[in-house]
Amino acid sequence: MNDEMASDVRMCAACPKMCRHVCPTFFAWRSDAPTPHGRALLLHQEIKGVRELDERAIQVLYQCLECSHCLTWCKPEIDIASIVESRRTELAEEGRQPTAIKDLVSIVRSNHNPFDEPHSKRLEKLELPTSKNPDIVYFTGCTSAYQEEEIANSTINVLSRLGFKVALLEDEWCCASPLFRTGSLEAALEQANHNVEILNAHSAEKIVVSCPGCLRALTIDYPKHGLEITKPIYHISQFLDMHRDGLGETDPSIQVTYHDPCHLGRHCNVYDEPRRVIESISGIPPSEMERNRENAMCCGNGAGLRLMYPDASKKIGRERIEQALRTGSKLLLSTCPFCKNLLKQQAGDEIEVLDLVEFVDKYTKDVN
Amino acid sequence: MIDSDKFGELVEKLHTLLGSDYVTVQQTDKVLNAHDAWPLSEAKIRAGELLPLADIIVFPSTTREVSEILKIANKFLIPVIPVGGGAGTCGGTLAIYGGIQLDMKRFDKILEIDETSMMVHVEAGVVGVDLEEYLNRHGYTSGHTPTSVRSSNIGGFIATRSGGSMSSLYGKIEDLTLGLEFVLPSGEVIFCKPVPRHSVGPDLRQLFIGSEGTLGVITKATLRIFPLPEERRFRSVSVKDVSTGLEIIRKIFRAGISPSIIRLYDPEDTAFSVSTHFDVAEGDCMLMLAFDGSTSKNDLDEATVMEICIAEGGNDFGAGPAERWWNHRFDMYYPSPFTTSGYAIGDTIDVVATYDKLENVYHSMKSAMEAHEAVVLSHFSHMYPNGGSIYMIFFTAQPDAESAWATYKKIWDDGVAACLKEGGTMSHQHGVGLSRSTYVVDELESAFSVLKSIKEKLDPNGIMNPGKLGLEVRK
Ligand SMILES: Cc1cc2nc3c(=O)[nH]c(=O)nc-3n(C[C@H](O)[C@H](O)[C@H](O)COP(=O)(O)OP(=O)(O)OC[C@H]3O[C@@H](n4cnc5c(N)ncnc54)[C@H](O)[C@@H]3O)c2cc1C
Ligand code: SF4
Ligand code: SF4
Repeated sequence: MNDEMASDVRMCAACPKMCRHVCPTFFAWRSDAPTPHGRALLLHQEIKGVRELDERAIQVLYQCLECSHCLTWCKPEIDIASIVESRRTELAEEGRQPTAIKDLVSIVRSNHNPFDEPHSKRLEKLELPTSKNPDIVYFTGCTSAYQEEEIANSTINVLSRLGFKVALLEDEWCCASPLFRTGSLEAALEQANHNVEILNAHSAEKIVVSCPGCLRALTIDYPKHGLEITKPIYHISQFLDMHRDGLGETDPSIQVTYHDPCHLGRHCNVYDEPRRVIESISGIPPSEMERNRENAMCCGNGAGLRLMYPDASKKIGRERIEQALRTGSKLLLSTCPFCKNLLKQQAGDEIEVLDLVEFVDKYTKDVN
Repeated sequence: MIDSDKFGELVEKLHTLLGSDYVTVQQTDKVLNAHDAWPLSEAKIRAGELLPLADIIVFPSTTREVSEILKIANKFLIPVIPVGGGAGTCGGTLAIYGGIQLDMKRFDKILEIDETSMMVHVEAGVVGVDLEEYLNRHGYTSGHTPTSVRSSNIGGFIATRSGGSMSSLYGKIEDLTLGLEFVLPSGEVIFCKPVPRHSVGPDLRQLFIGSEGTLGVITKATLRIFPLPEERRFRSVSVKDVSTGLEIIRKIFRAGISPSIIRLYDPEDTAFSVSTHFDVAEGDCMLMLAFDGSTSKNDLDEATVMEICIAEGGNDFGAGPAERWWNHRFDMYYPSPFTTSGYAIGDTIDVVATYDKLENVYHSMKSAMEAHEAVVLSHFSHMYPNGGSIYMIFFTAQPDAESAWATYKKIWDDGVAACLKEGGTMSHQHGVGLSRSTYVVDELESAFSVLKSIKEKLDPNGIMNPGKLGLEVRK
């Protein structure tokens, strides 16, 4: 925790709760504890030497989704997500992480995915492209590989339809996003080092990712720790936007709304690309939810929350579904396998939830 | 504080009633729930001081649960402090004698809009902005938009007689509350059914509106709603002094016009808040107005108002300053390096008076507060046909905590004394809480005995929010 952070938490600790109304964990718990200013107050008292973090305080820090929604509403631009992450990193060094997070770390270390699935089965559910001399490495990320394989398969389809030769990596490891976000830096860098090595060694010129968590890890976290990937990295929505003309058309009567994933929107500043893709294939822009772009509500599935507090996570996801339903749309699109996974579970059959790439793959007629 | 055996029994009873997720004795929760937005608490937090803590926090979600909690508290003779949004500015939720903080945030349901009678039924823990957005979606507004709308909830608004920025047109919360569900300290649940007006003795609703948790707990309310106005139009006029500005405001009401927003900034506040963005002559005051209604009605009202302003020598600034204020009205409440540096502390004494006294109240308070080397900025807002309120905003920065807190108190003591001496009333909308508790007897004079008798009758054990509103103050 540096001096700037210390002066920020001092200000935030006594803020009259100006952003609490958008904090999803305040929404889930309806208490002043899991809130931006609450987290800051705990850290301020610790820095001041007034009160140490007890177990409950650590819990409050780990209840943060690191969604950065509070930052959108904070005039002095206090970045609680980064501050929380920084303290989580120190807690990991002190051996004071919650047990569930310690377990997560050892699972990722041994299996290279957070789902405790065997690494050998990483590509098992995917329809592997056979192309020689690939021009794109598709870094699937763990969620698309193990849990949302439709997204991975649609990505392979759509990229192939666009004429690209796609390679998948049998030895892809977790991008380490869940480890960075929960403060497990050492384990995160192990994964990162490996990925940088294999990605840089690959002959393809570009990298495409499905998951905004991967995008943020590869483009922001890795370089922050001196790990540079030597080829351009695109989120699939950015890549589709660059190749909009070849995507085909959907039935314009299908009303679509779009959920901005926190890692893609607030953290990587990608808002327009997915919207342009939707508009170009369906002829009309998505029907926006009231809370969109910088002000989009988190799906509830970030930074270990679902692992530790599944009920809170689901409650947040359900609220996002309610917001989507209010647009009257038939389809809720996301650009994050992690978001889709939770939102779909919370949507039941009230609204269909798909990733943007599935929409492109399954809903378009080829114009050619 | 009760002994540890009894405390264990109390916690167990609350656990049985609410379930373990909704009862906490964790120190961290108590610390995080301790404070509202009282500037003195905020300054103490920054300085690293610890605030008084509750012994237990409970999060009920039904009226029955609230009723049972109060029965239990009465049995154990332990204080109960209702907590709304926890964004009051007077320390109303501080557990100064320990006890149970009864947090109402889980009362978060908007129950029904009644479009026939133009009202909405809500639970007390609904956050202001959530209700407003919900109503807007249906084409309505609550008309209640205080700057704490994002953090305070309906129960807190009602418990403090809160006033929105547009109370000149829509009224304050006491005008907007048609019905109430209320739990008395005994645990008995009473209803004040929603009616537009009545003639059945004193209006009991008004006894509970503004009771600040000292007479029981608000669990549900029925509020008035209004169709969203076709347009909100802004206009701003600079005038040469406060007197002229107040004269214009009086004339606007006499002409039968109720703008939704009327704010008159004194020369200091104009220099600080307006001249930084608009070219205002030094020493002038800015009058900011808004009109809610149809275009044709706003055309008429605006034209009449401008005639009055020009006749009084006003300079037309168009929509600019008023519209800018509206769009940036939350900004001043965020912490900034300037307002939080060292032991800096600021607060607002929001007083109210009739027009015959208003200007004297302003001048007297200003000099009394400035005598303590405070920077004082003021504006008149929430204006009505018979008078209005003054926001006496002050800042002071002292070298150490002790002198900062002492200076803060002196500014308050002398500011309020000056207000009362000139016949003003010491709060228009923020309430009493702890910060004004010691002034209540002077404010209410002989009428205080009525409030005290009511308190003793309804809450014989003095469990409800002791020390607030000048009631049940313990040594
Ligand atoms: C940034 C900011 C701007 C503000 N702007 C305005 C403004 O424009 N207009 C205005 O009027 N005020 C304003 N305030 C003051 C404050 O928000 C109001 O007084 C508000 O009504 C308090 O509501 P709350 O829910 O935050 O109450 P709390 O702070 O939680 O409680 C206030 C008091 O009410 C009692 N209480 C709360 N809920 C209940 C209940 N259900 N039953 C019984 N008692 C209860 C508490 O015990 C306490 O005594 C502002 C405050 C801030 C921080
Ligand atoms: S993050 Fe900013 S707006 Fe939110 S509580 Fe902290 S200082 Fe206030
Ligand atoms: S980052 Fe998200 S969850 Fe964390 S405090 Fe901010 S709004 Fe709340």
